[in-house]
Amino acid sequence: MIKVAQISKSYQRKLVLDNISLEVPKGQIFGLLGPNGAGKTTLIRMLNRMLSPDAGQIYFEDQLLNEKHLQQIGYLPEERGLYKTMEVRAHLLFLAQLRGLSKQEASQHVDHWLVHFEIQDWQNKRIAALSKGMAQKVQFIAALVHQPKLLILDEPLSGFDPLNVELIMNEIKALKEKGTTIILSTHNMKSVDEICDHAALLHQGQLLALDSVIKLRQAHAKGRIFVRFKGNMLSFANALWTDFTLLEQKEPTEGVFECILQLRGTSTVNDLMRSLQAQVAVEHLELLLPSMQEIFIDLITQKDKQHD
Amino acid sequence: MTKFLLLTKRELIERLSQKGFWYMLVLGPLVLLLSLFAILKAADQGKQELKVLIADPGQIMGHRLMAQEEKNVHYYFLDDYLEIKEFDKANAYQEFDVLVELNEKVLNNKKCFVFYRDQLSPDIRIQLKFQVEKRIEELIAAQHSSLTEAAFRQIKQGFIFAFRDIKDPKNEAKEANAWAGFVMGSFILFFVGLYGMTIFRATVREKSNRIVEVLLASIRPEQLMLSKIAGIGIVALLQLLGWALILTLGLLFLQQTVFLDIFDPSNWGQATPQRLNPLSSLVFEQLNLSFLFVHFLLFFIASFLFYGALFAVLGARSGADADGQQFLLPLIFLVAFGIVAGIYAVYFPNTTLAAILSYLPFSSPVLAFITLAKGASIVDYTSILLSLLVLLACALILLKLAGRWYKQSILKF
Repeated sequence: MIKVAQISKSYQRKLVLDNISLEVPKGQIFGLLGPNGAGKTTLIRMLNRMLSPDAGQIYFEDQLLNEKHLQQIGYLPEERGLYKTMEVRAHLLFLAQLRGLSKQEASQHVDHWLVHFEIQDWQNKRIAALSKGMAQKVQFIAALVHQPKLLILDEPLSGFDPLNVELIMNEIKALKEKGTTIILSTHNMKSVDEICDHAALLHQGQLLALDSVIKLRQAHAKGRIFVRFKGNMLSFANALWTDFTLLEQKEPTEGVFECILQLRGTSTVNDLMRSLQAQVAVEHLELLLPSMQEIFIDLITQKDKQHD
Repeated sequence: MTKFLLLTKRELIERLSQKGFWYMLVLGPLVLLLSLFAILKAADQGKQELKVLIADPGQIMGHRLMAQEEKNVHYYFLDDYLEIKEFDKANAYQEFDVLVELNEKVLNNKKCFVFYRDQLSPDIRIQLKFQVEKRIEELIAAQHSSLTEAAFRQIKQGFIFAFRDIKDPKNEAKEANAWAGFVMGSFILFFVGLYGMTIFRATVREKSNRIVEVLLASIRPEQLMLSKIAGIGIVALLQLLGWALILTLGLLFLQQTVFLDIFDPSNWGQATPQRLNPLSSLVFEQLNLSFLFVHFLLFFIASFLFYGALFAVLGARSGADADGQQFLLPLIFLVAFGIVAGIYAVYFPNTTLAAILSYLPFSSPVLAFITLAKGASIVDYTSILLSLLVLLACALILLKLAGRWYKQSILKF
C-alpha cells in the first residue's frame, strides 16, 4: 500500500530521518514505534505530504505519492484540535469535504458515523461544549469519515478512558477487517502486541527493526519457557540438570506447578521435553516470546549503549 | 480550488457569526455619523434661534440693520442704557440671548460690547459683527462723506496679500480636500490593521489548538494562508461596504433633514458673509464620492493582500498570542508610518520625498487618496495607477514569499 524508499530529512542540519525504507502491506495494521524524537511524526507528515523528504521517495499503491492520494488517506494527529466555535456535524462535514467528499456524500458519511459512535444527539452542539473524550471521538470520526484506504493514527488511544480505548481498539480491528490499511503510531505497546501485524522501530532517525510482529517477537525470544506440570517439584528440579535455569515457580493448585525456565547453552526445547518426560506429567509447555515493550526497550538500550 | 473556497467560506461564516462583527458594522458608522453631526452642528450653531437686544441709547441705528437679516437671529432695539446685571437678572430680558451695547459715541470710537448668556458660535459672532458693522459703516459714510456706501466700502476694504505656491498658482490643491483624502486613506490602513490582527489571531489560534495539523493533511499551507486572508478580507470588505452604505444613508439623511437649509443657496443672503459650513460643503459637494469609492476598493484589496500576508506569517511564526505581540509592534509601526507619511504629504505635496512615499506600499494608499481627493490631473492619476500596480505587485511577491515562510513556520510548535 505504502512504500517508503530511502527517505532522509534534516532540520537545520540535524538529521531526523536517515535513509529509511519500509513497506506497509495492504489491509494490515502497521505499528510505527519509537521513543519521542525518533522521527515518527516527521515520517507521518511526509506520508501526508505536509513535509517533503530531502532524499528518497514515497509510493502510494505503486505510484509516487501525490496530492490526489490525500483523499484516500485519513489522519488522526497526536496533537489534534478542532474549531471550538463550530458545531459537531458542521465541523465533520467541513473536514469530510476538505478530504474530497461531495456535500451529499459527506452528509451521509457523517450521519453514519455519528450514529455508529452514538453521538448523534450532540451533532448540533459546539465543539467547545464537548467533553475531552467526546471531542476525541469527533476527531477519530474526522479521520475516517471519507473512508480512506490508508488510515494513519498517531496515538489514537491517548485521552480515552478504558471503555473508549476498548471501543477504539475494536473499531480499528473492524476497519482492518473491511480492508483499510492502518499505520498506528503509539507508545501503548499492549495495543501493538494486540492488534499490529507489522511493526517498525525508529530511534534517532534510524530504523532499528522492521518485520511482522510475530517474527520480531520470535527473533528476540530469549529462550524462556513456560511449563505447567503435575508431579514433584524436586523431581522436576533434578530433571533440569545444568542445561536449564529455573527462573520462577508457583503452585496454583495442589500438585500442579507452573514454572518459567531459561534455556542455557545449546540446549533446546526438545531436550527439555526429553528430560522432563520421565519425571513429571507436563500439561503445558510454551516458548515465551518477548512483548513488543521488551523488544522496544532492549533495542533502544542496546543502540544507546553502542552510541555511548 | 474547491478546498480553497471551502476554507474561505468557513472563515467567512465564522467571522459573520460573531456578534462583534455586527456591533462594529452598525456602531462604527453610527459613531462616525454622530461625530460628524456634532462637528457640523457645532460649526453651524447659527441655525439656532437667537434673540439679540441692541441697547442703543443714542438711537444711532434708527431701529434698523441691514436689509437682509438672518432668519434665525432676531434683533430688538432698546433706546436706553441697560445695566449688565439687569439684563442678566430682570424677568423682562430673560427672553434675550445676547445684549449688544452701543454707546452714544460708537460712530467715533467704533467699539461695542456683546454680552451673551451661552457661548456663541464663530458663525453667530460673524453674523452679529457683520450686521452691526455694516449698519455703522452706512451711517459713517452718510455722516462724514458724500461717498456712496459702496464706494466707502471699497475704500475701507483692506489690501489682500494672497500667498500662493508657485507650483499651484491657482490654489487648486485644496487643503481641506487633501485632509479628506488623508482620512479615507487612513481608513484603509485602519481596516487593514484591524483585520490584519484578526488574521494574526486566527493563525495563532489554529496553530495553538493544533487544528492546523488536520487541515494541512488536506491542503497546502499556502492555500490555507490565502484562504484565511481571502475569508477575513471579504469580511473586512463587507464591513467596509456596510459602513459605506450606512454612512451614505446617514449623510443623505443629515443633508435632507438636519442641515437642509445650508445647502440651499437661496438661503444665503447676498450681503451676508460666506456661511456655508466648510466641512459640509466638503463632504457633500467637493468630493467625488463614487469615484473615490471605486479607488478605495482597489487600494483596499491590494493593501489587504500586502499586509494580510505579513500578519499571517507573523501568526505562523508565533507560538502563542503573547509571543506574537512583540512581532506585531513593528508591523503596527509600519501602518502608523503610512499615516504619518500622509500627514507629511498634505503639508508638502510636491516634494521628492512625497513622490517616493507615494510609491511605497506602506504609504501609497494614503498618499494616493490625498491626490485623488484634491482632484487628480491626468499625470497625477497615471502616477496613482502606477502606485496601485506597485502595491499589487508587492502584495503578490509578498504572498509568494509569505507562503514559504508560513509553510516553514506553521508546523513548528
